[in-house]
Amino acid sequence: MSPHHDTLGNDTLSNGNGDGKGTGNGEALPSAGIVHPRAVRVRLSAASRIEDDAVLRVSPVGGSVWMPNATVGRGPLGGVATPDVAVAHAGQDDTGFEDTDVLAQRRPVEVDGVPADVALRAAGSGRYVLTGDGVVTRVVLEDSSPAEGGVRRREVLVDGFRFEVETESERIAALRERAARGRAAAARGGPLEVRAIIPGKVAAVSVVAGDTVIAGQQLLVVEAMKMQNELRAPRDGSIVRVGVAPGESIEVGDLLVVIS
Amino acid sequence: MTVESPPFARVLVANRGEIAVRIIRACHEMGMEAVAVYSDADASAAHVRLADIAVRLGPPPPSESYLRIDGVVEAALATGAQAVHPGYGFLAERAAFARAVEAAGLAFVGPASDAIEALGDKLNARRLAARVDVPSVPGTLEPAPVDHPDQAAEIIATARRIGFPLLVKAAAGGGGRGMRRVTREEDLAAALVSGSREAQSAFGDGSVYLEREILPARHIEVQLLADAHGTVVALGERDCSLQRRHQKLVEEAPAPGLTEAQRRHLHGLAIRLGEAASLRNAATCEFLYDPDGNFWFLEVNTRLQVEHGVTELVSGVDIVREQFRIAAGAPLSPEVTAAGERAATPASHAIEARIAAEDTSRAFAPTPGRVGRWVMPAGPGVRIDTHIEAGDRVPPDYDNLIAKLMVHAHDRDAAIDRLRRALDETEIGGVQTTVPFHRAVARSEAFRRGELSTGWVEANWDGAAARREAVGRGLLAAGLAAMDEVPAAGRPPVNGETGSAADRRDGQAAAGNGWRRGGRAQGVDRWPS
Repeated sequence: MSPHHDTLGNDTLSNGNGDGKGTGNGEALPSAGIVHPRAVRVRLSAASRIEDDAVLRVSPVGGSVWMPNATVGRGPLGGVATPDVAVAHAGQDDTGFEDTDVLAQRRPVEVDGVPADVALRAAGSGRYVLTGDGVVTRVVLEDSSPAEGGVRRREVLVDGFRFEVETESERIAALRERAARGRAAAARGGPLEVRAIIPGKVAAVSVVAGDTVIAGQQLLVVEAMKMQNELRAPRDGSIVRVGVAPGESIEVGDLLVVIS
Repeated sequence: MTVESPPFARVLVANRGEIAVRIIRACHEMGMEAVAVYSDADASAAHVRLADIAVRLGPPPPSESYLRIDGVVEAALATGAQAVHPGYGFLAERAAFARAVEAAGLAFVGPASDAIEALGDKLNARRLAARVDVPSVPGTLEPAPVDHPDQAAEIIATARRIGFPLLVKAAAGGGGRGMRRVTREEDLAAALVSGSREAQSAFGDGSVYLEREILPARHIEVQLLADAHGTVVALGERDCSLQRRHQKLVEEAPAPGLTEAQRRHLHGLAIRLGEAASLRNAATCEFLYDPDGNFWFLEVNTRLQVEHGVTELVSGVDIVREQFRIAAGAPLSPEVTAAGERAATPASHAIEARIAAEDTSRAFAPTPGRVGRWVMPAGPGVRIDTHIEAGDRVPPDYDNLIAKLMVHAHDRDAAIDRLRRALDETEIGGVQTTVPFHRAVARSEAFRRGELSTGWVEANWDGAAARREAVGRGLLAAGLAAMDEVPAAGRPPVNGETGSAADRRDGQAAAGNGWRRGGRAQGVDRWPS
């Protein structure tokens, strides 16, 4: 039996939907949404793309407590489980590959915004056992290459196929896309959203809605890593909206100020 | 028990890849020294590493290395080799090569050059079959009169008698070159001319003939061993129906579904052909088997076959070892005679999966490159013939067969189970291989029921769909793993932060195969962008 993921996560951080479901596929990810810090975007690397451009977004269910590596080293091939543990869980089949909830410590996961009954167990030497919808798949994940621009590449072996995938933090990916949109908007002269690029606490707000600002003018001060970081206007314009107040905590990607 | 002395002291192996390794192993088991030849692409290849002496032939292109008759014979003479084993492919069926080896006073481990020449001409082989009442695929026995338009009416009448669709085939042919499929009478003349032209440029011989297309059909072949004293023995048959582009993918012994009487009849046909052609050493007679239970002779291969291993597993005969004994003039060993007597009542089953560097989801396109992870299966009833180690390069210059995975069990069902299990254990990275296809074969109900045909691959394999499905699960697994690796936002990613399992593996790899030594160059090979 698997735990009900919906009941484990309170979804207050997950875009306020409250139904445990996200927004489906990523193009529709709302720019104002709060992305789980460990949300990941994964796609085939260009060299391995043949016909489609499949992108998958994998995320812990919003608000749940994440236990990194909770499944690593568990189970018969991981070398950690003791024989009596294996025997204690009758759900395990005799091949030893079926995860039980206790052994795997399944974590509530969303795939493309939908809670999914999946688990990954590390079996050593780059081997993993993926369980999902009752199907057990042995997967090899080779060491990932050093990240370039936040993107890591690694070779994956499944069912005799080999291909290369790229993974990156969903937050960084979303931020980059927003930045690209912001630049495009700036080029068109439309409203510009200024968003947090570091997490921290708002120390001071220097503008109010209606103010006219010039490029380089201080908008607000964010305290992060024990330092005061000034945030300045990227271009001339007038302040449409201020989204934060002094003393508020902000996360990467949070909307701070909108300049017309 | 008498201990046989080695047939030769030193043998030159005129080949590369897994078959050179296979032959060198036989040499060493028999107490003979092995001389390897190699091109620049293979300077550190497995057959060079294993051999006692290695001689460079030239640059990578086969015409400047492995196909150089003079270079190979010179190497044999210079190293004091007494015999030359050609393997398969390259020079194995070139009568001129066998003749050059014979002329140098060395033993050619294969049929005599005259027999190679006589059987290399398919029309000649068909006429030989007709003389000893072995039915060939219905068709013509003389070259079509391509250059005589006045005889067009005659050839069209012949074609009508054979029936459409039919095939125009090159007498000197192989690998489908010079072959044309003709469905309508009015297309025949053009097909004869273009087939003949292609044959002329490929083989230097433009002779073409007509053959009925038998479809559906199974490809079944008989392994022969013959000694210099005129004894010919059939070791059993193989089914090699699973092919793409006339290249075999899966072979098994015995051919499933044949009765003992059918086997005796088939083996008898092959022995008659072997005797009529004065065959010596190892050869294979190929037949098509139609749904009505008829065997139609196709051609004789005058060499060791890629798939000889499945016959070795079922018959218990080491064919390469026997080849050396025969080449030294010895009579067939008692094991061969006994295996011939058992051949119609096989007591076990063997299957071979040819693992090639090809992308089964992209029309089996070749995928040369550098092999990364290389984990081969083991355990009961598993035999791997390969020349590959982790980190080895698969050069684009040669055949892309990288391993033969063979399984052996008491019956066919158990052999299929074993094949499935062995493929599950197989892990090959760096280059795409045919393993996905073989996994599907091992799980196919049609294959298990023995529904085999030369059109099986097209009818049963959707590589793109299989890949899409695998990619979906691969992305999910990579995503789940990455959730533990993603650094907190804003913090730069730290190299080496990934799981400890990966680090442990890397440590092993560094010790085992020198992956790390190659450094950046290998990294570039592995991550083409």
